[in-house]
Amino acid sequence: MASYGYGGNILRIDLSDERFKIEKTSASWIKSVIGGRAANTKRLFEELDPSCDPLGPENIIIFGVGPLTGSLLPASAYYTVTAKSPMTGILGDSAAGGQFAAEMKLTGFDQIIITGRAETLTYLLVNNNGVKFVKCEELTGKTIVETTSSIRKVQRDHSIEVAAIGPAGENLVLFATIVSSGNRVNGRTGMGAVMGSKKLKALGVRGLGAVEVAEPIAFLSEVQKMRDAIAAHNEYDKRYRLGTTMLMNDLNSIGILPTNHFQEGVCDYVDDISGERLADEYKVKNKACFNCNLHCSRYYVAGEYEAEGPEFETLCSFSSRLGSDDLPFALEMNTWLNQMGLDSISTSEVIGWIIECQEKGFLSPEELDGLSISWGDVESIRNAVNLLTLREGIGDRLADGATKLSKDFSEEAQKLVMQVKGLDIICGDPRGIKAYGLTYAIASRGGDHLRAEPYFELTNRLEESKRRFGTEKAAMRMEEEGKAALVTYSEKIALLTDSMTMCKNIGLCMDVLNFDNASALLKSGTGVDYSAEKLQKLMGDSVNLQRKLNEKFGVSREDDTLPDRFVCEPLPRGPTKGSTVNIDKMVEEYYRMHDW
Amino acid sequence: MIHVDISKCTGCRSCEAACSFFHTSKVSNRLARMKVMHIYETGIDGPVVCVQCEERYCMDCPVDAMTIGAFGEVIIAPTICNACGSCERKCPIGAIEQLDDLVYVCDLCGGRPKCVDACTEGAIIFTQTSKTPISLSEMKNRTDKMNTSERRRLYVETKGQAVRTSWRGEHG
Repeated sequence: MASYGYGGNILRIDLSDERFKIEKTSASWIKSVIGGRAANTKRLFEELDPSCDPLGPENIIIFGVGPLTGSLLPASAYYTVTAKSPMTGILGDSAAGGQFAAEMKLTGFDQIIITGRAETLTYLLVNNNGVKFVKCEELTGKTIVETTSSIRKVQRDHSIEVAAIGPAGENLVLFATIVSSGNRVNGRTGMGAVMGSKKLKALGVRGLGAVEVAEPIAFLSEVQKMRDAIAAHNEYDKRYRLGTTMLMNDLNSIGILPTNHFQEGVCDYVDDISGERLADEYKVKNKACFNCNLHCSRYYVAGEYEAEGPEFETLCSFSSRLGSDDLPFALEMNTWLNQMGLDSISTSEVIGWIIECQEKGFLSPEELDGLSISWGDVESIRNAVNLLTLREGIGDRLADGATKLSKDFSEEAQKLVMQVKGLDIICGDPRGIKAYGLTYAIASRGGDHLRAEPYFELTNRLEESKRRFGTEKAAMRMEEEGKAALVTYSEKIALLTDSMTMCKNIGLCMDVLNFDNASALLKSGTGVDYSAEKLQKLMGDSVNLQRKLNEKFGVSREDDTLPDRFVCEPLPRGPTKGSTVNIDKMVEEYYRMHDW
Repeated sequence: MIHVDISKCTGCRSCEAACSFFHTSKVSNRLARMKVMHIYETGIDGPVVCVQCEERYCMDCPVDAMTIGAFGEVIIAPTICNACGSCERKCPIGAIEQLDDLVYVCDLCGGRPKCVDACTEGAIIFTQTSKTPISLSEMKNRTDKMNTSERRRLYVETKGQAVRTSWRGEHG
């Protein structure tokens, strides 16, 4: 039996023969990984045939929560979805907040493990007793909100939380997402395509249980400290007003806001597309994840388009990254991408790559079925997104993502894809944030920052840097020294937040979670005596396991690098002018610290 | 009574989590006496909680297990209640719910409601002034054939209409 905090059960579902099995969560198994993302990785490592087709019935897709998910801990609202990625062919996973995880927790399942493939489009309804398989061909082509509404209405329960795919997932767009709570996105690595390949339209959860902690009074006291730390944080007001969209101005002011597909890091029209403008002109209210006192999400109304969001990545992906100063267009795209189920970063990358290649003459419209796009050409961008959502015409090739599409073209064109291991790079130019550069290179799911989120390098906390990492330079963004140490530390905190679970924006960027308070929370929460050292060791082991899993998928040292642009081409102007990333040196140091 | 201003609600459910935790030491939507609804179609969120209504539909209890306390709160005697479900069915806004033979309804925490403390947005206000109680007769007429969840949703949706009108006025 697993301890307090946990649901205590694992649900296994086989879509091919419509059977399910409930197992007890093994206490010793789960203790070594805490839960959430680390537990999902371990499950995949133990049970997946690494050679399987990611879009075949044998791929395993896992929904996982942790021991503190849905508890009184603020922002304990996260679940992770894990499978072999159809985009990259390696470890794929993506986390999301909102309300889904807290409700999944009440079903008593720490993991829901899904294999096989349904005969026709199906949704699953999970409660504490198991799962109901519901055929739903009438939901073909429906958006996320339409699907969620329909399931709640038919089942006559408006507290069911639904994680669904949109048309993009059904059409196997390789960077399709899963979306829950209407607009909360498991965005990266194409988990929506894996669901689509299984003809699984949605997973609905509605529980009868409760989250019970080992020592309620001690836990309450730890929780209160966390709530206070969030409320008293010096960025609280800014984050409350702008959420992550504050990064539009923040990154621009240091010259690393991706503009025209990373050709520049300074955007002259940033005020037209900033978080501040969004808040002043389109935001109507704050939104929050389960039990969070930051409320950093927002709801906007812009003409006929309204939705929750956008987060910084989507806003930047559909404005400066594509050379557009049109904020209403970015808001339209946020609504569209969320409802169709598309990852904004990868969607932007395939379009941005085409624009740059066409600008440089590497790609002619004729080679792309007449498709011709230029910077800020919102009509053509909208058209391309429509086509790839439906895999219509040239959209069928765009829907495989920039990396795969580029293979049909010249080497110089291929080099312009901003990707690592086949996953498109996020909106932050690593030439001015070196620890992020290292993170993109080594991240176990490909070009991504959330594996370590080394926001600390932007804080200039020199004393703290010296104490933690032995050098002041870890807190200085342009430096490369100390960055391997920073990433090695924060990748474990990132994994811990994803595993216990809580929000990385709060845990990491706001630097609210550390091994000491995590130890106190987990001890009073689960009753298991996790010391701070023990947690470091477990998370370190789990980082090693990710690496071993990726080795099974064929990843090696050469894959841990950055696109040439960031290594060879200095940024042309602004506060990061002239800088490049000496990635090999940092990766070598990182390897040394891991004994790899 | 507890006033909810849903124009300020972010849907965070801190009220619901606190309600459940301080009554049961566990966190669960099922154990909370205040339940937050999220209407993803329209961006409206809001908690549903007993408003100590004028009509007191629930009090028509077949075994007389219900009384009204000093703050106007509904009190259910667990030793008399036979879990027939009558009060749950009669509440037009879905503010009473039975789970495992126990009835969950707001008890105003004896006059110091935890949900009010938990709400950082000022969306939940406790007032002891003897304002005219809210009438739920219109909701009663509209919710006859609905289950508890459907009634909760309709209540929040209805309250949200004015909020949406103001949004559209500003940004539509």
